[in-house]
Amino acid sequence: MRSRLGSAVGAVVATAAVLAGCGGGDDGGRVTLNFWAYNEPSGSFRAAADRCTEQSDGRYRIAFNPLGNDPDTQRQSLVRRLAAKDSSIDIMSMDVIWTAEFAEAEWIKPWPEQFASKVREGTLEGPLQTATYEDELYAAPANSNTQLLWYRKDLVDGEPPRTWDKLIDTASEMEEGGQIEIQGAQYEGTTVLFNSLIQSAGGEILDGPDKVGLEQEPTQKAVDVMAKFGRSPAANPSLENQKEDQGRLAFEQGQAAFQVNYPFIYPSAKDGAPEIFKNLGWAEYPSVEEGGPSKAPIGGFNWGVGNYTEHPELAFEAATCLRSDENQRSFALDGGLPPTLEAIYDDPKFEEQYPFGDLIRRQLDDPGVRPASPLYADVSLAIYKTLSPFSDIDTDTVVDALRERVSNALKSQGLL
Amino acid sequence: MTGRRILGWGVADGLVLILALVPVLWIISLSLKTPATISDGNVFPQEISFENYEGIFEQSVFTDALRNSIGIALIATLIAVVLASMAAYAIARLNFPGKAIMLGAALMIAMFPPISIVGPLFNMWRTFGLFDTWPGLIIPYLTFALPLAIYTLSAFFREIPWELEQAAQIDGATPFQAFRKVIVPLAAPGVFTTAILVFIFCWNDFVFAVSLTSTSAAQTVPAAISQFPGASQFTQPTGSIAAAAVVVTIPIIIMVLIFQRRIVAGLTAGAVKG
Amino acid sequence: MLCAPAIIVMIAVTAYPIGYSVYLSLLRADLRFPNDNEFVGLDNYVTVLSSSLWWNDVFHTVVIMVVSVALELVLGMLLALVMHRALFGRGLVRTSALIPYGIVTVVAAFAWRLAWSGTEGGFLAGIGPIPDDPLTDTFWTYVVVIGTEVWKTTPFMALLLLAGLALVSDELHEAARVDGANAWQRFWSITVPLMRPAILVALLFRTLDAFRIFDSAYIIGLNGTNPKIETVSILGYNQLLNRLNLGLGSAVSVLIFLMVMLIALVFIKGLGTSSPGAQSR
Repeated sequence: MRSRLGSAVGAVVATAAVLAGCGGGDDGGRVTLNFWAYNEPSGSFRAAADRCTEQSDGRYRIAFNPLGNDPDTQRQSLVRRLAAKDSSIDIMSMDVIWTAEFAEAEWIKPWPEQFASKVREGTLEGPLQTATYEDELYAAPANSNTQLLWYRKDLVDGEPPRTWDKLIDTASEMEEGGQIEIQGAQYEGTTVLFNSLIQSAGGEILDGPDKVGLEQEPTQKAVDVMAKFGRSPAANPSLENQKEDQGRLAFEQGQAAFQVNYPFIYPSAKDGAPEIFKNLGWAEYPSVEEGGPSKAPIGGFNWGVGNYTEHPELAFEAATCLRSDENQRSFALDGGLPPTLEAIYDDPKFEEQYPFGDLIRRQLDDPGVRPASPLYADVSLAIYKTLSPFSDIDTDTVVDALRERVSNALKSQGLL
Repeated sequence: MTGRRILGWGVADGLVLILALVPVLWIISLSLKTPATISDGNVFPQEISFENYEGIFEQSVFTDALRNSIGIALIATLIAVVLASMAAYAIARLNFPGKAIMLGAALMIAMFPPISIVGPLFNMWRTFGLFDTWPGLIIPYLTFALPLAIYTLSAFFREIPWELEQAAQIDGATPFQAFRKVIVPLAAPGVFTTAILVFIFCWNDFVFAVSLTSTSAAQTVPAAISQFPGASQFTQPTGSIAAAAVVVTIPIIIMVLIFQRRIVAGLTAGAVKG
Repeated sequence: MLCAPAIIVMIAVTAYPIGYSVYLSLLRADLRFPNDNEFVGLDNYVTVLSSSLWWNDVFHTVVIMVVSVALELVLGMLLALVMHRALFGRGLVRTSALIPYGIVTVVAAFAWRLAWSGTEGGFLAGIGPIPDDPLTDTFWTYVVVIGTEVWKTTPFMALLLLAGLALVSDELHEAARVDGANAWQRFWSITVPLMRPAILVALLFRTLDAFRIFDSAYIIGLNGTNPKIETVSILGYNQLLNRLNLGLGSAVSVLIFLMVMLIALVFIKGLGTSSPGAQSR
């Protein structure tokens, strides 16, 4: 028994040695660039890496390294490696909110003008803004995303209400399916909502990278909406655990006439809930005040170049290729990720697959960009920990509480 | 033997059986549902589907993690058992200064909260280049497996007829030769039992795995399951989680069932006699 | 000599890091601002101890620890008695009881979470008194976490107690039975006192283990994001590895370490006073 166990261990050690031997490095003059990105399920990121490898004429090979599913996991993986000054991070996919943090910690390189000007060409304004910190471009927007208001035409007469207030009232008065699916768990999604609300009401969470914004009136309006919703019958009873996917499921199960969510729910409803899909309508993201801007959330990924890479020039070149027109088309058509290049929105194929494509483009022109701060992660934690669950919000005191916690977060003090 | 007593014990037996098995059966049932019915809330799947299993074995996320789990746990087990055998031999056989301290230290470590050293280890590993590597996990596993192994093994070693070893030493063997040639074969069953316990311990760890790894280079199955990707960026990977859970559970259950007598002996030996 | 390698590994990976942790806890050390390290004395401890979050999490941890260990002791004793005394099916009971022991904690936590969760298709949600989504309800979230812990570790507890039961001689029971003591009286006046050391050892192991609870609370709390069952270990983890705030995180770690030592000390005192009595019989 012992010797058999021993030989098994020997085999494993040998295998490990072989496996360890085959990662990274240069092979025959060709540089291997490691590309770290979320493992997009349709495989379009991986395909883009292969395509660019081919187009490089043998100068580099892009090795795709998959990261976890949710942005928190991706950030953890990258940040821990970057803190270790890992030179194997050549190109990485960054959630739009990480730019300032990564730039300030010197984990990513600013884009040199020759590459930056190429990136700016034809790219939508909203996504570009998310990749910029202190007037420098730190990443190349690869895909974007935004939330729309989805509704069921069989339950809603005509156009849905334009403001949050009316939307909540309308849903609360409905007899069946009177829910609005919104993300309300203690996670980034709650900050996303709050950011759109406060901006729609004319305020900002931060006033510069290290100064608290949270002006009294807009903040009050934003938390009032959240508190009202949390206590209304329009809220899902599980609101405090609801993320994007729970909202999608509840909507597909017919509990809700409305949901605010990303367009991934569209193909999903098509396959999983054809009855609901038949009557699926979409409208602009709601605003706080009648006629005010809606400031819809903007998400997506930007490609950054790691500061510890040994091949910066090639990395910038490869990152530019990884967001090319051709590749963004594949992200959009195969992966369902809205592009950042304006031209793609006019592609008939894209229009066919995204009948709401124009609405997305319009929203991305003036979206609710979340504040750029090296301490954004802490600020966001402070916000969602204060505001979720919505039903517990005390509208009289919460504005002061928010200010105090956000200000602590900006000093990187306090437990979060 | 009255009928009532038989019934009573029957109920007790049945209750234990149900309570022990229901969660396992539930996760198996869940893993056999189709993606469309995964969250329908039914106890049993409407139709049996192996889609989830096919899915996870197509993803390198899971197969890499499985490879890491098996490799890391086996290596850590091997090293821990060798080191612990030496230490346990000394504890069972020799009287040396510091023996009490040794046992005390081992006991302290058995009680040590892993979270208290995860931070410094992370900071050290990132400077040594051990972050997200196999040794980066094997080393902390060794530390926490050693007390368990030492206690279990010294309990086993005390039962060994050591006169044989003395006989060997009279015949001119050094203590180390006596240990290797005479005692090792006698100790093998205890060592094997300890190896199973240590393996289960390493296989089970989550705190270190989730803190000290970040990619498929060293991430083990528990950490990988907790970060599984769904069908889209925002989709919950419930089916994959259930299927992966079943895959990592079945081998351990089989092992536990085959070696149950030894495991019971090993688990209790360390605690009661040590 | 033979002990040396084992000792070296154990000390190097625990004593040194805990010392390093103490050092880090006195610094402002945030990896996102690598050039901003400075000595801040006890500031981090003041921050932690004056934070309501810390005390909330201590409360969650202690509730989970006390309730689950108490339940495990009672259920473990019952299970041990079944395994020791059952007229039939002992092997079957032992076999099935070992299954939870063998299961990875993360898997057990997923099995429980997915069975209860209203949004993830749990079959228990909405049955009888159970709310539609138990995981949004404080009481029921505790039920799920504690249930997972109890399910997973009662077999271990039972095995430790079973070993203790084996030391209780049948003659004593016979004698007491002749004297007219019923089963309940015999259990309390013979079995329990004789098993006291075994019970205390089992309690010590499980209490310390339960205080460190991370895996199941993290998974059931949706990767540590449900504040209702955030435990001190999750709090420390979040500061250390998500915020990369090593200073604050280390302060939390050191406090957890001190609390574990305190609990161990209390138990060892208890063990110390009980052993002479146990030996004098």
